[in-house]
Amino acid sequence: MTSSPITLIDTPERRTTRAKPPATGFGSIRRARRGLAALKGIQGARRAVQLLVLAIVGNLIVAKWLSAEAGGTVTSAEALCPFGGLETLYTFVTTGTYVPHVHEANVVLAVAVLVLALLARGAFCGWICPLGFMQDIVAGASAFVRRRVPAAHRAMRAIHRAAAPLAFLDRPLRLLKYAVLAWAIGGAAVFGVMVFRDVDPWNALLEVGTGSVGFGLVVLVLTLVGSLFTDRPWCNYACPLGAANGLVAKLSPVRLERSAAACVDCNLCSRSCPMKIDVAKATKVTSPDCIGCLECVEACPRVGALELHVGLPIGGRA
Amino acid sequence: MSAVAGAERPIPARKGRHLPLGIYGMLVVGVFAGVIGLGSVTGTFQTSGRTTSGGERVAPAGESVTEIKGWMSIGEVADAFGIPLPELLAAFELPADTDPATAVKDLESELFSVTALRDWIEGREVVAP
Repeated sequence: MTSSPITLIDTPERRTTRAKPPATGFGSIRRARRGLAALKGIQGARRAVQLLVLAIVGNLIVAKWLSAEAGGTVTSAEALCPFGGLETLYTFVTTGTYVPHVHEANVVLAVAVLVLALLARGAFCGWICPLGFMQDIVAGASAFVRRRVPAAHRAMRAIHRAAAPLAFLDRPLRLLKYAVLAWAIGGAAVFGVMVFRDVDPWNALLEVGTGSVGFGLVVLVLTLVGSLFTDRPWCNYACPLGAANGLVAKLSPVRLERSAAACVDCNLCSRSCPMKIDVAKATKVTSPDCIGCLECVEACPRVGALELHVGLPIGGRA
Repeated sequence: MSAVAGAERPIPARKGRHLPLGIYGMLVVGVFAGVIGLGSVTGTFQTSGRTTSGGERVAPAGESVTEIKGWMSIGEVADAFGIPLPELLAAFELPADTDPATAVKDLESELFSVTALRDWIEGREVVAP
């Protein structure tokens, strides 16, 4: 990495076609923030919210472990899973009851997630979801090691080169989460139980202390190990809640917009996106995969090149 | 006018109003916490099926088999639906000396489960006058 963004974005051709950017205001260069400085501003706020939610849920998980050992019962962190609210939707509408393991809180949370998706796109995934945050933590640790251990950096590059021929699978694999969503909702409607529960990594995390773990734990371990090599593998390919969130988010009036006037095609926005959205080629980011993390805005070196806008939820691409 | 390719590319005008990042962050937290807060105020944010919003223990009323949950005791289920406990235990080949305070989920076996109990009570009600 170079020390200044200008050396990253200025090519000989660019220097002949672009005037020197203004010192301040629209199109000016802003300093890249690294390390702890990167936690100032909106990213700091986002990480604080993620940390708070993880602490609340973690507290419930620990309390459940301790309670299980003591033979008592406490509020299960499972009651704080929004997806349970979606799984019980059909049963609730048709019979007025819930599928086993679902409470009113799950339904309220599902409503909160969907309202949030409608108003702020995929922000639940990028700002609140503890499983998404855990993947971010693992990915951050992986990046930290790669920056400081040259051998790890070389090994990761070799792995990425070896995996490059499989890049064509990325797009079809992203559809997998919609299949998981259909299976989970449809299965709960047909069988009256949460068929997704046994493979749900979130549920596995909640139950790991009680000793009743199954295939969900395998999925959880695979997700976290996979996060060492690629950003948010669960969110990108398999999360049914993210799939539902993305579908509703298509109706959201909030989206990122890229200004071609200020953009210098440095591609830093696309490279920083944990959901691998090609922000640099978009005019409006309306992808159902966008999690509203604003990493691309943070990475953008030009003021005004990438901003959030509110408007009609139509048009644009990516 | 520049002759260099790409220098004169059309720049699409932006549509919509700019949304400051701080406002977006507050919107995210506010909407999510607001819906949960609304649920708490109205008493719908229940994290357990065992207690009501007032903290009282939920007990089966015997009106519908869907009321039966695994954490309920076999005795209170039998009482709620007016079934003699020995008859219920015998139907599922459970030990006759089973403690009535035992939770339904703790008695699960190949023959006995919450679903099986619901089906049996429903079938029994149809047969009974």
